[in-house]
Amino acid sequence: MQWEVATTAFLASAVEFVEAFTIVLVVGLTINWRSSLAGAFAAAATLAIIIATFGVALVQFVPIDILRLVVGILLILFGLKWLKKALLRYSGLKALHDEEAIFEETMAEVRARGEQITPRFEPFGIALAYKAVLLEGLEVAFIVISFGTSAANNVCSKTCAIGSAASGAAVAGVLIILLGALVRAPLKQIPENTLKFIVGVMLTTFGTFWTGEGFGVTWPFSDLFLLILAALYLLASFVLVTWLKQVRLQHQVRASTAPPVTNEQEGVRP
Amino acid sequence: MKVIKAVYNFIVGDMIILIGVIVAVILLALIENVSALAPLRTIAGAFLILAVLAVLIASLSREALGKR
Repeated sequence: MQWEVATTAFLASAVEFVEAFTIVLVVGLTINWRSSLAGAFAAAATLAIIIATFGVALVQFVPIDILRLVVGILLILFGLKWLKKALLRYSGLKALHDEEAIFEETMAEVRARGEQITPRFEPFGIALAYKAVLLEGLEVAFIVISFGTSAANNVCSKTCAIGSAASGAAVAGVLIILLGALVRAPLKQIPENTLKFIVGVMLTTFGTFWTGEGFGVTWPFSDLFLLILAALYLLASFVLVTWLKQVRLQHQVRASTAPPVTNEQEGVRP
Repeated sequence: MKVIKAVYNFIVGDMIILIGVIVAVILLALIENVSALAPLRTIAGAFLILAVLAVLIASLSREALGKR
């Protein structure tokens, strides 16, 4: 078992499962639980097939050095995307992800279609739950496959590493489903942005490390350099959040001191 | 076109990050493969880290300063 791989997969999956759970909950409450669960299980099966197919293909046919280079670059792209969003949310320049708002919005969408609570399978409900779980789960599948295949070493083979990542994701899924079953409301208490920030730092760290290795870079202290790299990105993130908060304050000050715009200045004719 | 856009949005969704990382990777490939650039190989790791940070700062700057 590779704990760093399992932890990253667990955190990333928890974020995505919370988002998927919100939609499954709406479908369950507004249409029926049968359609909602059917859609969710069908999507989970599709994801399992994707992981099994691509995971096995990558393990068998692609050399580890090429895999690390390609996966490293993809992880940097993916990690920077998550990190950027999390930093913008921390600084207040982007609104925090609001599960309750998504819940209400989807609820309104379903009600507008005039769907009634019936015990039968409703195609719209199944499709909505399927789409949500599949789309959110694809990011999890991507992380499980890329992390699993690249984290292999002398102690843990590629299959063992994919197993570690898949275990982390599965534990996250079970936990979120259990929590959701107990609460039966949008899981807004889960610190989604913090999870996204941690995963963003981890993905960028592993991405940089593996890309470097793919290009033949010999990192000082070998694998221990991962910790130094993570600390460096964490430090940079804190500095960037402080700077972004200052920028936001300057925007607010400018907006409050700016003279009111008249119709003439705007060029609007009465 | 829709498929390409969906893949782009799924993986990165930000042109500055995409172009920045591609440029960094191309430069790293040149450093590793062109013999005239061999002396730079010792700083390839540091270059990669700085490039990643520069891309992040550039992308955040556009978001922050573009909201004026």
